[in-house]
Amino acid sequence: MNSETLNTLNTYSKNRYKYGFVTEIDDEKPKKGLNEDTIKFISLKKNEPEWMLAWRLKAYSKWKKMKEPQWANLSFPEIDYQDIYYYSAPKGFEKKPKDLSEVDPKLIETYNKLGIPLEEQKVLAGVAVDVVFDSVSVATTYKGELEKLGIIFCSIGEAIQKHPDLIKKYLGSVIPAGDHSFSALNSAVFTDGSFVYIPEGVKCPMELSTYFRINAENTGQFERTLIIADKGSYVSYLEGCTAPKRDDNQLHAANVELIALEDAEIKYSTVQNWYPGDENGKGGIYNFVTKRGLCAGKNSKISWTQVETGSAITWKYPSCILKGDNSIGEFYSVAITNNFQQADTGTKMTHIGKNTKSKIISKGISLGKSQNTYRGEVSFLRKADKARNYTQCDSLLVGNNCGAHTVPYIDSKNNTAVIEHEASTSKINEDQLYYCRQRGLNHEEAVSLIVNGFCKQVLQELPMEFAVEAQKLVSISLEGSVG
Amino acid sequence: MNIQDNYQKNKKKIFFSENKDIQTHREKLINIFENDGFDKKNNESLKNINLKNFIDFKYRYLISEETSVIYNNQENNYSIVSVNGQCLSFKDDKIEITKILDEDYNDFSKNDTIENNDHFVNLNSLFLNSGFKIVIKKNNNIKIKISNIITDDDLTIFQKNNYICEEGSSLNLIEEYENKNNSTSNILNVIKLEKNSQLNHFLIQDNSPNHNLIITSHSSCKKDSKYTQKVYNFSEGYVRNFHYSELIEANSEADLQGIFFLKDNNTCNNKTFVKHLAEDCKSNQVYKGILNDSSKATYFSNTHVDQVAQKTEGYQLSKGILLSDNASYFSKPELKIYADDVKCSHGSTIGPIDENAIFYLRSRGMSKIAATKILISSFINEELSSIDNEQMSEIIQKKLVRYLSKVK
Repeated sequence: MNSETLNTLNTYSKNRYKYGFVTEIDDEKPKKGLNEDTIKFISLKKNEPEWMLAWRLKAYSKWKKMKEPQWANLSFPEIDYQDIYYYSAPKGFEKKPKDLSEVDPKLIETYNKLGIPLEEQKVLAGVAVDVVFDSVSVATTYKGELEKLGIIFCSIGEAIQKHPDLIKKYLGSVIPAGDHSFSALNSAVFTDGSFVYIPEGVKCPMELSTYFRINAENTGQFERTLIIADKGSYVSYLEGCTAPKRDDNQLHAANVELIALEDAEIKYSTVQNWYPGDENGKGGIYNFVTKRGLCAGKNSKISWTQVETGSAITWKYPSCILKGDNSIGEFYSVAITNNFQQADTGTKMTHIGKNTKSKIISKGISLGKSQNTYRGEVSFLRKADKARNYTQCDSLLVGNNCGAHTVPYIDSKNNTAVIEHEASTSKINEDQLYYCRQRGLNHEEAVSLIVNGFCKQVLQELPMEFAVEAQKLVSISLEGSVG
Repeated sequence: MNIQDNYQKNKKKIFFSENKDIQTHREKLINIFENDGFDKKNNESLKNINLKNFIDFKYRYLISEETSVIYNNQENNYSIVSVNGQCLSFKDDKIEITKILDEDYNDFSKNDTIENNDHFVNLNSLFLNSGFKIVIKKNNNIKIKISNIITDDDLTIFQKNNYICEEGSSLNLIEEYENKNNSTSNILNVIKLEKNSQLNHFLIQDNSPNHNLIITSHSSCKKDSKYTQKVYNFSEGYVRNFHYSELIEANSEADLQGIFFLKDNNTCNNKTFVKHLAEDCKSNQVYKGILNDSSKATYFSNTHVDQVAQKTEGYQLSKGILLSDNASYFSKPELKIYADDVKCSHGSTIGPIDENAIFYLRSRGMSKIAATKILISSFINEELSSIDNEQMSEIIQKKLVRYLSKVK
């Protein structure tokens, strides 16, 4: 094991959540609870046109009739939707600051603690950051350079104001508001998120990135992200999450929609590290995320990569609808659960077009008293001639109180399509462990090394900026429960 | 006629209708049907089933004048002909055959491995009208062949059989279901393997298009015992094969295998479920299917490993070949694992016949149809070659040839 990993282990050896601090900023909130007034309040605060409000209210009326999906292998107390604040924006941000000097210095401090120095990142990483602190975009960097190429990268609120045609055309086109109760909820009350449009033939020169952060107590975070890649374009998008330490469970129900037109490619990477609750299973984020991509045009490609280490509950299935002929969908996932965490995650690949291909690599690691489930569906519709899928899901169990489950659904209605699925579950190989120990590593280091190797297939899919962070995250997540 | 009416009208003819406990249990089941009903949307095990046949049926059962026979043709070799689910009583120093008793009903109804929402098992408990119990006595090595015969059209057979293999015994059981009439059989086999016993169970299913067969089995294995089940489904009518196995003591083994051949509009639902409740146990679940024309099949497999079941080995494999545009296959291989020292895996493939293999054979002068047939035969060769009974192997070969003759 290299010295860097050792240092990291030492740094985090107290096994406390690193990002568990709270910035004190006055919040401006509507009353608790969800009703038409709340939605009108949000819409008013965001200065939205009337058609948007109507859209939200329609989603709300659908939500009222819906029940939460019950099929996931999760148990949690019933969510009281009337006990949540649906809007929280730091005061004085109704008019956006033009540059960082206008931003509340306390916020800047928070980001610095999180290790996202905006100033430095501009120069060093070449990443344009659209930072979401609670629900309002605070600062957008690198905008000028992107604008030159015609790329639109802004908050969804801004896009509703400035690009209503695109929003009207694409918002809800991949995840309809009435898809299930969490998507309806999000459609009704979403406050912010990112909007990306890559024009025809443009390859986005940098990784676009957004850092989300939940801050105010009892505030659900409802982001809405919409990425459109026009013909022949390419974009890589990074999403990373951290959240401060809280005792009350916080609800998070984001919707992410991707649309790839002819010959376009979208790469979407996530490192999710919301607060998972403490050793006794108290607190933690409830993360109910709907992510779906549509390969609308021929030869388009959508690739999801995720590293899930946080959240008390993860309910997340980044999916691809492969509609265009020759389109490709990919899903790479590492899910690590520790203590009392529960994760039910996987993907859904729907093959509609001819010669469509999909690949699923999923690695689950369960520790402590956690439950980790892979749930995936691969379906070939009647016209998906010569479609192909390859699925591999492996689970690793560490300790005798956790569970690892695999629930794949495989449906083929086409006799030229080929589907291959394999899965395995086991504990860490004693021989490998012995080999490492023999060479002087202690038990924890050895486990960390083996687990990192186990995940490598997925981690190498991450962009450079994330790959390093993710590797550390994997090691940290194993902390304290090994041996 | 709906389930409630059928029950009220025929209450007295059904087994154990005098027993109060059983009656109460049955009332409960009726309530389940009334409240839950057959909810296709939320119960995936009902996928593709034409439910009308099972909800709106006319209860009809008769005890046939043709009586069942039991031969003891050679030493340790028995042949049984069961007529309408009934069988004569028989006893010698090796086996004992009797009717099922009240306590056998209870013994089953308290079992929670079979999911509560399996409506077909509930129907079986509700209308139970036939069945028998076979006990293999200690340390005997026995072969039994059972032919299940139904004498009349439009009968509804609800049958429950108990098989008990006592300590150290070994049983080779071949069951044949070949019926040409329009009846419906709903059969539940409850199998108990005592210490160090062994059961090789073959089920050959070959019914005509209008005969529905619903067969469910539940086996439990004690220490060092081994249960092997092989299902050969050539039926042209609907078949449901749901098989549950419980490994309750250490070092036991369950092997559930099946192959099915579908054509025309036929449907077939399969499920295997192995529950590991003790350490050092092994399980294996393998199903292979060939689907032609507009046939549909589902296969659910599930390995459940309890927290105490360390050193478990559990494997699943599902393979399907689609020969036609309109055929569809759904498979869901599940793993639920709560112990860490395990080796579990599953594999699943669905696809057409390998084009390269066809090309290889055709380039050596074979016609496309001949090549297809050879490749189908080789796809299931492993299952066929593992049959050590020559007579049975011949029967199955013949059925395979019959199926292949329809493949174009």
